[in-house]
Amino acid sequence: MQSTISIFKRSGVQKKRRPKVEDFQATMKLVLKNKVSLTGLIITSVYFILALMDYVYPQYLGAGPGVVTSMLRFNGGFLGQGFPSGPTLAKGWWYYLGTTYANIPLFPAILSALYIDLGYSLMIVLSGAVIGILIGTFSAYYGGFWDELMMRITDIFYSIPFLIMAIAFTTILSYSLAKAHAPINGFSLIAIALIIIWWPTYARLTRSITLSVKSSRFIEAAIASGSSKVRNVFTHVIPNVLSPVFVQISLDLGSIVLIFATVEYLGLGSVIKVTQYTPELGELISAGQTYLPVGIWWPVFVPGIFLLIFTVGVNILGDGMRDVLDPKMRR
Amino acid sequence: MELRYYIIRRFLILIPTLFGLVLLTFILLRAIPTSDLIASFISQKATAQERVIEKQQAIAYLGLNQPLPVQFLYYLNDIIHGNLGVMYTSFYTGPVMGGIERFLPYTLELSIATVILSILIAIPLGTYIGARPNSPSDAIGRIFSLGVYAMPIFWLALLAQIIFGKNIGIFGSYGLPISGEGYPTTTKVPWIVNNVSEPTHMLFVDALLHGNLTIAYSAFIHLILPVGVLTLSILAGLLRFIRAGMVDTANQEFVKTARAKGVPEKLVLRRHVRKNALLPSVTVIGLLMAGLLGGVVVIEYVFQLRGMGRLTLATITGLNIQFYGVAGTVLFFGIILMITNLIVDVVYAFLDPRIRY
Amino acid sequence: MITQEENVKEISASKPYIVVKDLVTQFFTSKGIVKALDKVSFEIYPGEIYGLVGESGCGKSVTSTSIMDLIPDPPGRIMGGEIYIDSFNILSDLRSLAKIRIKSETEVKIKRSKRANKRHNEILSQIRGNKISMIFQEPFLALNPTMRIGDQIMESILLHNILSISDGIIKRHNLNSNDLDKFMKNLNGENDHLKRKKIINNFVSEFGIQEFEESLNSLIENSTDDSYVKTEIINMVQENKKNIDMKLISEIREYYYYKNQLFQLTLEEIQAERTGETAIRNQKHEQIKALRRYINNKYFVLRMKLRLAEKHYMAPFRKEARRRAIELLSLVNIAGPEIVVDSYPHELSGGMQQRAMIAMALASNPKMLIADEPTTALDVTTQAQILEIIKDLNELIGMGVLFITHDLAVIAEMCDRVGVMYAGNLVEETSTTEIFNDPKHPYTVGLMNSVPRADRKREKEIRLDTIPGTVPNLITPPSGCRFHPRCKFAMDICSLKKPKLVEISPQHKVACFLYSDESEVD
Repeated sequence: MQSTISIFKRSGVQKKRRPKVEDFQATMKLVLKNKVSLTGLIITSVYFILALMDYVYPQYLGAGPGVVTSMLRFNGGFLGQGFPSGPTLAKGWWYYLGTTYANIPLFPAILSALYIDLGYSLMIVLSGAVIGILIGTFSAYYGGFWDELMMRITDIFYSIPFLIMAIAFTTILSYSLAKAHAPINGFSLIAIALIIIWWPTYARLTRSITLSVKSSRFIEAAIASGSSKVRNVFTHVIPNVLSPVFVQISLDLGSIVLIFATVEYLGLGSVIKVTQYTPELGELISAGQTYLPVGIWWPVFVPGIFLLIFTVGVNILGDGMRDVLDPKMRR
Repeated sequence: MELRYYIIRRFLILIPTLFGLVLLTFILLRAIPTSDLIASFISQKATAQERVIEKQQAIAYLGLNQPLPVQFLYYLNDIIHGNLGVMYTSFYTGPVMGGIERFLPYTLELSIATVILSILIAIPLGTYIGARPNSPSDAIGRIFSLGVYAMPIFWLALLAQIIFGKNIGIFGSYGLPISGEGYPTTTKVPWIVNNVSEPTHMLFVDALLHGNLTIAYSAFIHLILPVGVLTLSILAGLLRFIRAGMVDTANQEFVKTARAKGVPEKLVLRRHVRKNALLPSVTVIGLLMAGLLGGVVVIEYVFQLRGMGRLTLATITGLNIQFYGVAGTVLFFGIILMITNLIVDVVYAFLDPRIRY
Repeated sequence: MITQEENVKEISASKPYIVVKDLVTQFFTSKGIVKALDKVSFEIYPGEIYGLVGESGCGKSVTSTSIMDLIPDPPGRIMGGEIYIDSFNILSDLRSLAKIRIKSETEVKIKRSKRANKRHNEILSQIRGNKISMIFQEPFLALNPTMRIGDQIMESILLHNILSISDGIIKRHNLNSNDLDKFMKNLNGENDHLKRKKIINNFVSEFGIQEFEESLNSLIENSTDDSYVKTEIINMVQENKKNIDMKLISEIREYYYYKNQLFQLTLEEIQAERTGETAIRNQKHEQIKALRRYINNKYFVLRMKLRLAEKHYMAPFRKEARRRAIELLSLVNIAGPEIVVDSYPHELSGGMQQRAMIAMALASNPKMLIADEPTTALDVTTQAQILEIIKDLNELIGMGVLFITHDLAVIAEMCDRVGVMYAGNLVEETSTTEIFNDPKHPYTVGLMNSVPRADRKREKEIRLDTIPGTVPNLITPPSGCRFHPRCKFAMDICSLKKPKLVEISPQHKVACFLYSDESEVD
């Protein structure tokens, strides 16, 4: 009954796999074609440029590390005396968004906070991704015991609410490191704690891709030609993992910024005594909250809006990239 | 019959994870210098001589003179017997387990109300939007989901306070309470004072059961803002998921079959698309629960409510960090999440005929 | 049981059941407009098996899906043409469904009319599954995974057969001694065993008590006392009457009767719209509005009841439908239909699933079945069984079949007439014997030479050929005859004009300039 008809199979030369770089370029082209994703890209870029400028030329934006110290000098050094004042155009651009607790002008404080938030979040996501990729690909490629172990460990990490875990890890880590007199600031500590609990996401993601790559033909061919396991992982598996991980990073960046801000908002950063104080968006909101009961809303509202716009931008960019990379959506 | 075995099997899989969880908290505790760990067993008022004795007792109790694996067994034994250690904070002083027992009901009240409310909203709304992809209502839903998803929950809570809060927001003194102020304290609730029955330990439900409408009202208005904010925060994810499920299912072959049978469009959605689209949503509830439990901590902090979240934060924000408090609450939150996931899996297996082992 | 015995093979004399005329279906993708069907026309007569054959991507499935009007929108749309099913053109309101502005290949603005689409779908839901049914390539995907097989078949039965089911229930309810006397008289007047059985069979199916057929048979065999038999029958029926609210039954029957009326009126309205008789159209429109208002008012409570507790109120109907579902399952050779009826799709094998699909398609006794590669996803032995079932059904109840496949062997086995498709065009159409013995179109010739044939003896003929080149991209299809870039006999005209499908000998149509210079006019 079943007859094979050769011409019904499409003849012609099999398409060659496109190199990854070109693939990425094609993806970005499609992303840029979509107005929404383009907006996301623009928002994200503007934020990163602002943060970078603030880091490189703190004197122009008047921010950078130790901003509050300098601002206090600007205010005449009256910490705790300044009552927040509303947005005004009269006193120069520092005061466009009003001031917050201790009469610190919001605008420069937010700009320098961007550098902290974006910088550390990017560091967390990238480090988490690198660790996750290495653990995920190798354990899945080697399989057996290592794979099982990795799965169980990630299971444990997944079984604790993320924020609770972040709180616990930051606390314990900061305490023991402070005891050991490690030269480290509060932000880095939170970052380390978040990296420790963030890598399982990427390990799980890369694991599933690795398993499918592992069973594919070109890996079989590579094994047959005597290529070593480590080499295979680096030359064949990891390149395939990169683009979904890239999408995941762009989707996660928003979440991590939010979690970083939340942890700071809860006051975990101040568990460790730091001499040089730099604001962070969550902390700024927390400080602004002091006067909320008397109806002063902008110290809470404004930093939040900055946070919101960034996460929206990153999320729509990530969504756009996922839609493009998802073969189902590509017609 | 088969379902029973599935539940048992699923339960057995839980054991290694539980074991790993205990191991994790043990590692957290041992990451602290031992001297500090011992210090948390020594009372402040003790004399020098008593301190030496207490130190000896603590070492023996923790098994610090034994190798690490044995220490772990000591720890495991403690946990099996429900002994999670002691904490001393201005918020709560006493055994960690006792604190959990006391503060859990409030958190449960908050979470359960949130889960019920968000499911009640998400299912009709998600199916409505999912049935009309790329329509104006879909666009609104997407913007809403994206916006809320991108907001830090503490900011959302503060925003809610700015808008609806008593004496701050647009409703002035008729606004909703923004802190635990005015919440019926244990000394004012007759059935707690007189030690009568407290069937659920949740104030609102208990008040209704006792027929005390004044307390029920007070408990209720204190719930509105926190539950509202929590609901919004998980609604975003849930809506997105249900919408995606509807769109995905609508493109499946069996929906085409239903149309080919002549099933009217309305019934196609109701009978064929909706159930199949909502089934996977059951599994997200476990994931959302994780976010919800984290959110509860923040919400309790922002609204100054006395629940598990505040207990957790109290362990770290006092003058001395309460290591046993930290470990105990982490363990407990982990167990709650695991049980939720177990229930979710069982419910899923019960609902989906394809999953039966 | 289905008891139609029509004379099947009187094909040419009767009116075609399906007429497809100049069907154009396109898909709007981000890369451009895929011209999937380009003026396809053919006819299928009642009781014949019509095969559509061609390479994958040639538009066979798009054709069948278009006939059911199930083209997924977006991305696809039927852009023009006529499809008559049982003399009703389902595309008569095509123009009103959407306004389409094509700016460029990749930029198309479609503005759908909600109201027109709603009416269109209402009408089609009465036609689909009722006048024409469809089965699909992958039964596992085509069955709802969370619904029991029985429920899926019953759904189909309850959608289209509510009136006949309620008639059965009412008749059974009103069964009186007069009917019984008549039956006994008939029975006693007959001595032939088989004929007696037939009378019993007719009796039980007339009064909807098929479940008692066997006990009735043995009762009549073993008893000579008429009055005893009568009281026994009364008892049996009485048992069935329990818990049935006859008022509800007749109310539901009325409700569905009016809904049928509404459907008829809507058909007439559309017909009038098409012919431009505004007066009639307006009159029909008013009638529809009035009837709709009447139904909404009178049956408001009933509809709420059905909406809230359909399972409860429809129980007698469901019972009847379930019995029919079991019958249908045994009709398609499923062993143990009582068990299968309660199982879920994943509990069945692929072959069983496809049988269940066929049973579902037969639920409302349609005159035409579209089988879209029904055996491709099955293993070889099951394939043969499924094909046999389809063939049997065609012979037994005279059901016409539109059979879509890429497998020429299946065509040879199954079909009466064959249409060959290439790149969205029907290039040749003739009887099965002709197509194998005397293919005309160069593509068909190539197709025939590419499969091994047992009836070719000579060495030269045994050699298998392939057709050079590849299937064209339908976003930018070749001009003129779409086959010309791969054609050995291509002439100048082939790339300029599109050949028309013309009858070159009785029952044999070809679209090729080798045989006729008629071209299609645009």
